[in-house]
Amino acid sequence: MVRSNVLSAFLPRRARPIEAGATLFAAALLVAALILPTAGAWMLDDRTINGASMWDKPLKFEMSIVIHLVTMGLIVAAMKPSTRESRATRVVAAISAISGIGEVLYITLQAARGRASHFNSETPIEIAMYSAMGVGAVALVVCAFIFGIMVARSPQEGLGQGAKIGIVLGLTLGASLTLIIAGLMSSGVVDGFGHWIGGVRSDAKALPLFGWSITGGDLRVPHFFATHLMQALPLLGLAGDRLAPRAAKSLVYVGAVVGLAIVAATFTQALLGRPLLAL
Amino acid sequence: MDWEVVFSATSALAMVSWLALIFLPRWRWVLIALRYVVIAGLGVLYATLVFVYFFRVEGGGFSSLAALSLLFTSSPALLAGWIHYLAFDLFLGTWIAERADTRGLSRIVQAPILVATFMFGPLGYLLYAATELRTAGRASADGASHHG
Repeated sequence: MVRSNVLSAFLPRRARPIEAGATLFAAALLVAALILPTAGAWMLDDRTINGASMWDKPLKFEMSIVIHLVTMGLIVAAMKPSTRESRATRVVAAISAISGIGEVLYITLQAARGRASHFNSETPIEIAMYSAMGVGAVALVVCAFIFGIMVARSPQEGLGQGAKIGIVLGLTLGASLTLIIAGLMSSGVVDGFGHWIGGVRSDAKALPLFGWSITGGDLRVPHFFATHLMQALPLLGLAGDRLAPRAAKSLVYVGAVVGLAIVAATFTQALLGRPLLAL
Repeated sequence: MDWEVVFSATSALAMVSWLALIFLPRWRWVLIALRYVVIAGLGVLYATLVFVYFFRVEGGGFSSLAALSLLFTSSPALLAGWIHYLAFDLFLGTWIAERADTRGLSRIVQAPILVATFMFGPLGYLLYAATELRTAGRASADGASHHG
């Protein structure tokens, strides 16, 4: 293979460009590999932050990023071949992979150092890194939005209507709502920096597994429901195509409305300073 | 946590792995098991220790010999360092064995090289690299004769 320019020297040596899906699945596996030692650290480490294990957060982010990257990888397969193999798709996949890996590595490093990653304005480097994480997070959702548009414009032949609408709506809605909610969280406009609104600002007593506040509002609740529209609606569409192909499209529209309602309700609840569940 | 127990367990695991590499026939699954079970498992253990203990040692790190000594005053950090040796030496051993097989280096000659790698990693590598001089020399001689 003739190497035409300097940049190509940075690419792995192989004849064909790496497919976008392969990049995303490899990145997902890389992040998944961190889950085992993180779980080990979660059991072993007695350090806490905001009253919860130092490793709660890396564990949650690693699992979320794996789910996100796998979702993105599967969505590549829903594009028609010419789009799937286009440079734009490969670039979007590479940006997603780098952003996802970067977020997780920094969150894990900060946990190992016993420091906060998000909402940390204690040292110049941590302030800069928190901003960089913001850029990475925005990149992740913008990339998801772009993939949604790509599937809308050039779906794979034979892709079910439910799956298509589910992917398009799930990715564009999920990305937009996530951007709004996470943007509000980092802006500090409502009740200061962070995701807590009223209540006890601690993770010591929180909803098991999710870690959401049980004493006050928590913007992580609508963030969760908004972000996971990216999985929920495509899955709903796929299920519809299998079980009731003629109703699949309507099923996704109903699912989208229900999803929006849940996000709106939990968002309002959080802004009012109320927990999802007061245990 | 009793670090002595972890130390003994990992050392025994490494010992068994090296015996397999030196004495067992080169069945495909031997290398696969060593790389993707034993070495990957040591990697998980190593990463766990580093995640939890590396940054806890005040003034410890890689920036100077003094900082390194300080880092290794922590038992779990020292244990992580030891597991690093075990994992990397064993990986190098599998690499040498695979390459030596391809190049047709006798198992009798491989054995002392692998023992040296087990005990003193880089020394074993040096010994193996020296054996490649012979085949490299022959390959270039062959190349020259083809052209001539």
